Amino acid sequence: MRASRGRTAVAQARLVLLLMINAAQLWILAATVEAALAHHFSALVPLIVASGICFFITLTIIFWWRPASRRYTSTGYLKK
Amino acid sequence: MSSRSDDRHDEADVRAMTAPHQADFPYDRDEEAQVTRREFCNFLGLTSAALFVGAAGFSAAAAIEAQQVSVFMPTKIEGAETLAPGASLNFRYPEKESAILVRSLDGSYHAFGQKCTHLSCPVYFERGNQRLECPCHEGAFNAETGAVLYGPPPRSLDTVKLELRGSEVWAVGREPGEKNL
Repeated sequence: MRASRGRTAVAQARLVLLLMINAAQLWILAATVEAALAHHFSALVPLIVASGICFFITLTIIFWWRPASRRYTSTGYLKK
Repeated sequence: MSSRSDDRHDEADVRAMTAPHQADFPYDRDEEAQVTRREFCNFLGLTSAALFVGAAGFSAAAAIEAQQVSVFMPTKIEGAETLAPGASLNFRYPEKESAILVRSLDGSYHAFGQKCTHLSCPVYFERGNQRLECPCHEGAFNAETGAVLYGPPPRSLDTVKLELRGSEVWAVGREPGEKNL
């Protein structure tokens, strides 16, 4: 029961993080469009890099940062 | 209240109509309406990818467009010679790019690209104030120089170079607007 609650909390945290990253990327896209239309080309590369980093973090959250069973520790030790 | 009960009737009708096919095509509407946490996470991941690709694509397109050297063919602006002072005329230059020709009160001609430099809304000539205004975010440009008067636009309007050939007005080139100081 407690383990299940813990996993739920981690899953909720993943969702919140993903939503926050999506919101940040939306802002970056808006800034990119404004910079491109304003011919501020020097600002474009940092914006693309920032969006890429957000995407990379999203991938890490989806593929690697998952709720694990509380029976297993990082060293592989199995709790009884 | 009545619409909700109508909805229930509709749903009951659908269930009754599809009942004979349930054995061959089992389909539970309530179950299908559920979105699992994993599906939602995957959706957010796809959204993130789309936003990244969108930002990179838009930047690349803008940078490539800025580096292209365009060759402008001189084009006669039809109807410019009959344009009254203090009035404007829309035309296309080069090819399909929309532009606006303004004749000042002193009789001189000025032409600009019609896209606002903020978010590309089309600007229009406000005759009462003798300036070009953008209706989207309330930006305004000088009708003789294309410079930003107020509002969010970060640079002047693109300028269309003009040439007077007798009484005719010809568009002969186009230059990007300068950034605000």
